[in-house]
Amino acid sequence: MKEILFAGLGGQGILTSGLVISQIAVSKDLNATWIPQYGAAMRGGTANCTVKFGNEMVYNPAQEEPDILLAMNNPSFQKFVGMVAPGGTVVIDSSLVTCDTNVREDITVIGVPSSEMAIEMGHAKGANIIMVGVIANVSGDITEEEGISGMNEMFRKKGKSKFEEMNTKAFKLGYNFKK
Amino acid sequence: MEDMIKGNHAFAEAAIRAGATFYAGYPITPSSEIMEYLSVRLPEIGGVFIQAESEGASMNILTGASASGVRCFTASSSVGMTLKQEGISHMADSYLPFLAINVVRYGTGLGTLDTGQSDYLRDTRGGGSGDYRTFVLSPYSLQEAVELIDRGFELADKYGMGTILHTEAALGQMMEPCTFPEMKKVERRHGSIDGTYSFERISPLYRDRLKEAIDEKAKYDSIKENEQMWAEESLEDAEYVIVAYGLAGRSATGAVKQLRAEGHKVGLIRPITLWPFPEKAFAKVNKDVKGFISVEENATGQMVEDIALTLKKSDKSSKPVYMFVDAFGVPTMKKIKANFIRVKNGEIKEVY
Amino acid sequence: MAIAKKVPEMLSKQISFCPGCGHGVVVRLLAECVEELKMEKNVIFNVGVGCYSLATPSIEADKFDTLHGRASAVATGFKRCNPDTLVISYQGDGDAYSIGVGESFSAAYRNENITVITVNNTNYGMTGGQMSATTMPGQKTTTSPHGRDCNTTGMPIKFPEMVAATFPNAAYVARGSVTTPKYVNQLKKYILNAFKAQLNNEGYSLIEVLSPCPTNWKMTPLQSLERINKELVDYYPLGEFKTRKEK
Repeated sequence: MKEILFAGLGGQGILTSGLVISQIAVSKDLNATWIPQYGAAMRGGTANCTVKFGNEMVYNPAQEEPDILLAMNNPSFQKFVGMVAPGGTVVIDSSLVTCDTNVREDITVIGVPSSEMAIEMGHAKGANIIMVGVIANVSGDITEEEGISGMNEMFRKKGKSKFEEMNTKAFKLGYNFKK
Repeated sequence: MEDMIKGNHAFAEAAIRAGATFYAGYPITPSSEIMEYLSVRLPEIGGVFIQAESEGASMNILTGASASGVRCFTASSSVGMTLKQEGISHMADSYLPFLAINVVRYGTGLGTLDTGQSDYLRDTRGGGSGDYRTFVLSPYSLQEAVELIDRGFELADKYGMGTILHTEAALGQMMEPCTFPEMKKVERRHGSIDGTYSFERISPLYRDRLKEAIDEKAKYDSIKENEQMWAEESLEDAEYVIVAYGLAGRSATGAVKQLRAEGHKVGLIRPITLWPFPEKAFAKVNKDVKGFISVEENATGQMVEDIALTLKKSDKSSKPVYMFVDAFGVPTMKKIKANFIRVKNGEIKEVY
Repeated sequence: MAIAKKVPEMLSKQISFCPGCGHGVVVRLLAECVEELKMEKNVIFNVGVGCYSLATPSIEADKFDTLHGRASAVATGFKRCNPDTLVISYQGDGDAYSIGVGESFSAAYRNENITVITVNNTNYGMTGGQMSATTMPGQKTTTSPHGRDCNTTGMPIKFPEMVAATFPNAAYVARGSVTTPKYVNQLKKYILNAFKAQLNNEGYSLIEVLSPCPTNWKMTPLQSLERINKELVDYYPLGEFKTRKEK
């Protein structure tokens, strides 16, 4: 069972990142849940969702103790870094998370300048997909091929296949990112 | 494996698959996606979708549809359900079946937008004026919701009463895969109003209310005897039994499995029918049980009262009932486990 | 010469209203119109809460008693499920214009293809003559014993005028009265127009009927008729506010 918390600013595609990961897991015949933060707290610009997947049934679909945290801005990092499971991983957008990230010794922090990378590749809105690639790799449960096919199938079903080429490129960039 | 689908969309599709062709409702967070989905889906199948001027009006529009014998439903959240109670009570008095989906948001009055289980007492006690009950079904997954929506319509038709699918914001807003049954075709109910006056209609002024009240009591007794639903784990040797429904019940299922693996003799009752309350599950618990723990997503404890009342008429009337309440969210497995240990260590005082 | 007119078969049982009440005339006209259009086996009488609730036991047709004020919403449900059936929503002024104004207004707003009959007797008759939204300025009722003070309670509502002015798609809107044979014949024409509009799928139709309430007005039946003819018709003019586009 993996628990991943996706957090950032509204408009960064955070909820979509989580959904793509959950759909990739489902396409591998795993059990998966996706649950957004909702309610009054969703007003004011922050967004987050929790994705869980694994072989057994997902019992509590809500946040418990994330194995992986994706933090796309400073408040997300600061708010959630303390909840990460010991031995867990925090992936940050190093172009946007500028605060001190050396706050826990029992977790690994991976900095990925996904916003800059997205602009460089000419797909400015693709930072969230780059991060999907990173998370897919970090999770250790998803191969590059499984990730790409699961992701593209999801967008195809939503009638959003026109970004397929760019999304594939962004995913690969993230999946193969060297720390 | 099926694709991920949002809870509220799954509820709406499940009702369509169960043969419902009529919806009236009013927007409210966190259940609005149900009517958004239906605004497209119902016209596709030749059904009727009405965005009413108010929660109350939507229930009265449903009254006309149900009296016409059409399988119909509505949805709302907590305070919106409060406004529907007038119509729910009137439909109960007219023996009209309906399904109402309550995607509970925590709180009193206007409440909050957060998830919760704060409407247990209101929904299980009828809710409006009068001497009636509705079926109250609570799912712990989208798959179970799909099944209970179909079951809820069937129960409503069978007994001539309403069914509330009592779920929570978190289940309405979350996504997971689920499979849907084939579309069911449901005929208009026999004896319904269609303009032809094929059946005598007795005016409310001429009904034999006393006889009807006695018949209702017999009907409710029969329902209590025959329609209880629940899920259970390890009741035969449990020292403590956790009782929880909906997503709290799902989290508790995981917590009980982990506690068992860690060597604790703990069992679980997950009520699926909140009314009728699954009293029969409690009869299955071994007589040496040390206590029951109600886990609820509210602050004051509501279902805990039904647990105590159920035990009172069983051979476990002296057993203590504890509660662990966690408003504003699905209680984590970690917290459920920690509170179980506290109960076991005598650190928490019983409620009853 | 007295003309013997057959009682509509739908009204086989006796209805008991107070002496001089107008409801009996309205119910009879509705039944006559339904039978003339040969709709007695394809009609739903949908009735709100008021003195007129006493009429439903005697109506031998499909019928439903709704909650107070909710008749237009319930009628919406009936009509959408029975689009070829004549759906009549029978209400009073308290029912339709006060507690049910949201439902009445919204049915008109959605242009539901139903016919709403509102009997306006300027008070809550069934509960003992309290002030309603149509009580006239200065009128004494049990909740305005010194006469209605419009400075604190507002002016009487003119719902048909509002509907006609607000909803250009409404099919037919009129106000009639039961106080003279001429008015009764005129009202019957209005009702037939409304029913024909509905059966022709033209949309929402509304008829308000000025009706005497001698018991609560503390008047004789004759005085009550005179009050309507002399006083009420000035404020609540009779006639068609919206006529059918197609005939």
